[in-house]
Amino acid sequence: MKIKILSLLLVASVFVACNKEKLEPIPQTSLSEAVAFSDEARCLQQVNGVYTQLKAGQLYAGRYQVYQDVRGEEFINETNNAVTAWLTWQHNLTASANEVQSFWSSAYATINRANVVIDGISKSPISAASKAQFIAEAKFVRATAYFMLLQMYARPFTDGAGNKLGVVLRLTPQTSSGDDNKARSTVAEVYTQIVKDLNEAEADLPANYADATLRVTRAHKSTAIALKTRVYLNMAQYGNVITEANKLVPNAAPWTSSMAPANALNASIATVFTNYTNSEVIFSMPFTALNTPGTQNGLGWYYNPGPNGGGEFTVNTTNGIAANAGWTAQDARRSFLVVSSGKTYLRKWPNPNNAADWNPVIRYAEVMLNLAEALARNAQGTTVDTRALAILNAIRKRSDANIADFAPATKDELVNLILTERRIELLGEGFRTSDITRTGSSFPAKGTVAAIAPAANQYVWPISIAELLVNKLCEQNTGY
Amino acid sequence: MKKLLQSLFIMLLVAATAIAQDRTVTGTVKAKEDGLPLPGVSVLVKGAKVGTQTGADGKFTIKLAQGQNALTFSFVGFVSQTVNVANATNLNVSLVSDAQQLSEVVVVGYGTVSKKDLTGSVASIGGDKVKDMPVQSFDQALSGRAAGVNITIPNGVVNNPPVIRVRGVNSISLSSFPLVVIDGVPTFSGDFGNGNVANNVLGDINPADIESVEVLKDAAAAAIYGSRAAAGVLLITTKKGKQGQTKVSYDTWMGFTNPFNLVDVMDGRQFETVKNEALVNAGTPPDGTTRGFYPYLDNNGNPTNTNWYDVVYRTGSSQNHNLSVSGANDKTNYYFSAGYSKQQGMIRMNDFKRLNATMNLDHKVNKTITVGGKFQYANSDNQGVNSGSVPGGAFASSGIARLGFALAPNVPVFLNNGDYNINTVSNIIGGGANKTAVTFTNPQLLLDRNLFTSLTERTIANVYANVNIVDGLTFRTTYGIDHLNTVNKAFQNALHGDGVANGGSAFNSISTLNRTNWTNVLNYMKSFGSHNLSALVGNEQQYTTSEGWGANRQGVTDPFYDEFQGGFNTIVPFGNSLGENYLTSFFGRVNYDYKKKYLLSLNGRRDGYSAFSPDNKWGNFWGASAGWVVSQEDFFTKAGLDKVFSNLKVRGSYGIVGNNQGINDFAFWSFFSSGLYGAAPTLGYSQAGNRNLQWETSKKTDIGLEMGFLNGRINFEATYYNNNIDNLILDEPQAPSKGIPGNSILQNVGSMNNRGFEFTLNASIIRNSNFSWNSNFNITTLKNEVTSLAAGGADIQIATSGLERPSMIRVGQSIGSFYAVRTGGVNPANGQRIFFYRDGTAVQYNHAAPAASRWTLVATGAVAPRVADQANDGVIIGPALPTWTGGWENTFRYKNFDLNMLFFFSGGNYVYNGTKAGLRDMRVWNNSTEVFNNRWQKPGDITNIPRVVFGDNISNGSGVVISENVEKGDFLKLRNVTLGYTLPKSVLSKVGISSLRVYAQAMNAFTLTNYTGFDPEISSNGNINGAPSVDRNSVPQARSFNFGINVGF
Repeated sequence: MKIKILSLLLVASVFVACNKEKLEPIPQTSLSEAVAFSDEARCLQQVNGVYTQLKAGQLYAGRYQVYQDVRGEEFINETNNAVTAWLTWQHNLTASANEVQSFWSSAYATINRANVVIDGISKSPISAASKAQFIAEAKFVRATAYFMLLQMYARPFTDGAGNKLGVVLRLTPQTSSGDDNKARSTVAEVYTQIVKDLNEAEADLPANYADATLRVTRAHKSTAIALKTRVYLNMAQYGNVITEANKLVPNAAPWTSSMAPANALNASIATVFTNYTNSEVIFSMPFTALNTPGTQNGLGWYYNPGPNGGGEFTVNTTNGIAANAGWTAQDARRSFLVVSSGKTYLRKWPNPNNAADWNPVIRYAEVMLNLAEALARNAQGTTVDTRALAILNAIRKRSDANIADFAPATKDELVNLILTERRIELLGEGFRTSDITRTGSSFPAKGTVAAIAPAANQYVWPISIAELLVNKLCEQNTGY
Repeated sequence: MKKLLQSLFIMLLVAATAIAQDRTVTGTVKAKEDGLPLPGVSVLVKGAKVGTQTGADGKFTIKLAQGQNALTFSFVGFVSQTVNVANATNLNVSLVSDAQQLSEVVVVGYGTVSKKDLTGSVASIGGDKVKDMPVQSFDQALSGRAAGVNITIPNGVVNNPPVIRVRGVNSISLSSFPLVVIDGVPTFSGDFGNGNVANNVLGDINPADIESVEVLKDAAAAAIYGSRAAAGVLLITTKKGKQGQTKVSYDTWMGFTNPFNLVDVMDGRQFETVKNEALVNAGTPPDGTTRGFYPYLDNNGNPTNTNWYDVVYRTGSSQNHNLSVSGANDKTNYYFSAGYSKQQGMIRMNDFKRLNATMNLDHKVNKTITVGGKFQYANSDNQGVNSGSVPGGAFASSGIARLGFALAPNVPVFLNNGDYNINTVSNIIGGGANKTAVTFTNPQLLLDRNLFTSLTERTIANVYANVNIVDGLTFRTTYGIDHLNTVNKAFQNALHGDGVANGGSAFNSISTLNRTNWTNVLNYMKSFGSHNLSALVGNEQQYTTSEGWGANRQGVTDPFYDEFQGGFNTIVPFGNSLGENYLTSFFGRVNYDYKKKYLLSLNGRRDGYSAFSPDNKWGNFWGASAGWVVSQEDFFTKAGLDKVFSNLKVRGSYGIVGNNQGINDFAFWSFFSSGLYGAAPTLGYSQAGNRNLQWETSKKTDIGLEMGFLNGRINFEATYYNNNIDNLILDEPQAPSKGIPGNSILQNVGSMNNRGFEFTLNASIIRNSNFSWNSNFNITTLKNEVTSLAAGGADIQIATSGLERPSMIRVGQSIGSFYAVRTGGVNPANGQRIFFYRDGTAVQYNHAAPAASRWTLVATGAVAPRVADQANDGVIIGPALPTWTGGWENTFRYKNFDLNMLFFFSGGNYVYNGTKAGLRDMRVWNNSTEVFNNRWQKPGDITNIPRVVFGDNISNGSGVVISENVEKGDFLKLRNVTLGYTLPKSVLSKVGISSLRVYAQAMNAFTLTNYTGFDPEISSNGNINGAPSVDRNSVPQARSFNFGINVGF
């Protein structure tokens, strides 16, 4: 009988059982949106989160630079691997190709992170000064991502002054469903937004950071200005390039910026890539053993031979810049070209993936070359701009001290010399596609791959199929 | 009826002899089947409360008073027998085993029910069907056994979870794998391997311990499991002791396994011929210095001819042992077993090893209380190299399956000096004498130096108490634990393959899942005259925690090290996870019948689940069913129909069940997660949540007809089912330009429908003492249709291993239908593959032309306006889900021989033969021999293999999904054939053995199909709902031959 009573009690007790606390667990390994911008420290982490998204595998961890460069003629594909840029190298992409979809997604993930952070920080209780700076940093990254998107998916600004289709412009945070359909803005509209973001960033960014690492991994005023020189160069607005570059580049040697943090041309090209915080680096992507480029993403993986890299691409010694006779043997930059098993590899980033070298995004040398080209092109008639020539010689003689100065006879000759110098100086750093397209040149033939003329559909990438499936207003590029 | 007559007869006899005096009766009770004495049989004097039990020798003694003339013998598992004693003083009684009656009881949620009274749709599969099968997990052995339950085995990777679909695909983004309940406690299922080797945790259950598997298919049967039942429920009942003498069984089998139906690939010389021709056609002919394919000569000067299949595959050997001891008396019932299984797969290094022990114990404390419990422990060790054949691995650069057919056959495994043939500069296999770089890695070195293991330790235990509160009212409380500990390890060498990127790396991680389940059920059963009622109410609380952590050590400091604990440069975190979920439920069921003629059943459940937002935690689910046993009707017997039908029943059910299986623990939250930017900590938007997320619901209709003929010798069952799933929780694709993490948000959008018929026919065709033939045929049809998706009905394309997207989820189509660019063979004039734009315009592709002019119009030869690709030109080719599946099992017995054959068949669908795209790819990959034999070579050649052009990855479907590679998937497979011989008892009794059977068996003996790939059953995407029937770089199925022995003592 006792047992019967006991069991009845048991029955009664368990039937009301329901553990409310267990029914509402709180995740322990992520922060909810309610507290994600609650104080200065978290807001700072959010800003760093925007930067690190820019460093995603598809973007500045390496693939953006690789896609930029291997579309050009400087490299030969060695592995025929469709997931490591082989299709891009061959100009044989479709809307469903891996890089076409993944690069698009990654760039927009960066843009949305920036939008979410701009929104979150503007509502956060932190100081007005921090707010302004953090938002400026997010805008800088957003501008960078839009610029990268245009380089791959849109025809250059120089083709019709930006009247061709650009990319989808999204400036508000996306955190829920709906709002899928949005048409592509024109190239000019996107560039206008990029310039607007960079101008606003320049206004609110700090002049400098005390810490050497922060100085090269987070944006300050010089960073925004330096990027503007690149943006305007791609818009062929040379006057604006000069205006912006003049803020950073003096009229004559020594080539040191008057603005903080006094960026300058590093004495040795070799240490530009080994000393990650040297004064030539304006903006760079940091890596640590815990924060690597990821599998098959890093520049070291693509260009190094084994064991440190995957030997995906070798330097084209037939008709790439390496075959240029003007690039002398004693030029220090030749030391980045290393022969292994009969093939030539680019070794600017010699370390393996888990000790990856930092990726320079903006170097002072590039800003100087941007300025030189703008000056050269902006010169009256066929005048050879002397300041442009001085800059060109400075860049070249930094690596080859004993060589004679260039002495171009005409403006066009100077421009061509500068363009060639860019190929040598910036090899592997992600400029070749932009330099070909903004100048309306053809992608030259290489290896088994034929040339692509500016009118060809393959001149730009297709839009990602994933976008087209959902965004009914997004138009595909011609020919895809 | 028969019983009624019997008892009437006995009563008459009793009346006629009721004149005896007080006396003592002795006797022996034996089992009729084996003649062995039965201990513990209860012997009751009829009409009195006096009784006794038989002793260990089966003997009994009992006193009968005057007027008492009959004794009733009863024993669990045997038909009770009442014997008229008359004047006898010594009785020999033989009890008949009640196997027939037992098998007619089926296990349902929180109870059992007599098959006759069942109004839901339940398939029951006996444990003997899985016990001796050469499989790692019992679920693999269920294929083809039951209507409505389609089980396919994705490939020959050992312990790869089978794909189980109960009546179609029942979800899109959540799980369509049925809930698995072992002895009343829901258990973990799925693959816990590390993406290289598979680890189906249902493999932790020893198949020999299984008494029966029930599959609950409709709402009437499954709704009692409420929110977890949309994809059906598998109820596993483990063995218990049977009354009688202690029974000792030893079962063993051993055998070997190897791949079958491998597609032939070119040998070294054919390879050189085709690839050099491709170079010529590309306009870059071999020149002996920078381009061209040439044989590597061995030490004797002979050209190399490597068959990479031989490097990758082997004939694996396996052995399995199982020992059990069981028995029971009136009070206690016990079952102990221990098992050991060691199975080598057909892929080298791919092994499965399991040690396990099981104890089941039930004890009757007194008349009202029974307590019991069980304890199952298993240690399962899965190991291998990167198979490239588990979901997500199809394009792994070192996936062993693809290496088997894609590597150049004219380079050696080892160089002439004995070194591995590898190219350390580009981390690929050494090119031998070839001037054009080859690709992929050398599998021999990977097999020798890399190792992936996934080891689980599993404890499944429960205790219960059953209390008979008053007559008809019982209370049962069960507390169950499922503890799953998985250690995943990987070592990748620094010299070659995937380990190179990080200078050699070791990953060790541990994942621990722990579940407690406390179920309390109050059960009431009562008959009121012709009204029979049973009802239950219950509460179940299930709490699950999961935790994972580990590390990846990189940069091995000495080639000697191949373990995590060796010397490495760096260490990074790996495999971290933390989760918890809680499900609390209240449920009830009422079964009512009138004279076993009219049956009614209602059940309901209210579930609360932690993963939904506070506004949407609770869901209500229910099922209702009714049955009419026509054969019990008077008019039926009057009409004499009972002479034809032994059973005729119609039944129907409708209900709503839910689905939360596979949903993330924190699905509704919006999150920011931590990361790093160099050394700086970061927060980043990582999950776009949806607070409106709620239960997926599945409305199930089931109408069945059951017929029995010739006294049950032939049974036929036909069922119509219709599952309307709505409120689907869908990873709704977001425009990637929105930048939402993962480009998707979980939403309750979309609906889908599965409907079809199931037919089952069981016949005992011949039933003689020397020869019998039983046949069991089942077939299920399935029409799956996606009826709505997110706003605007946006298509969803599911990627195979993140790269290729042949599978389409589109409104109006079957889920995962193939979406490809149509191709029209090869243009005989120029050898170019013909593709069709969606509007029908025929274009052709010439890889040898400059990129801008590769696509031309077939009609004019002019440059085509654009490429042909999936985005513009994809069309639905056909369904990927089989529209009919089934099994046909035949069991023959001739004297002491038995022969069992199980055919599995499936079809009506297409299979995407992505592997074929690789086998015809014109990069440096090796090709199938059909490329050598059938390639286009000159104008006028009629073939489906285009002119070979080096580097061409478009014409044959590597770069674009084409209809050429979408093939019919119909097949018939002899899943199992077993020939056994049972030794005669007369021989065995002399050596003290009660039974001994030897058998030989073959699994997957042959496949009949027109499919040109390895096997139309392959599923590269495993249990992923939206991408079935994709065959991409997977190993084929394994074929096994075994020899086994069953011994009973």
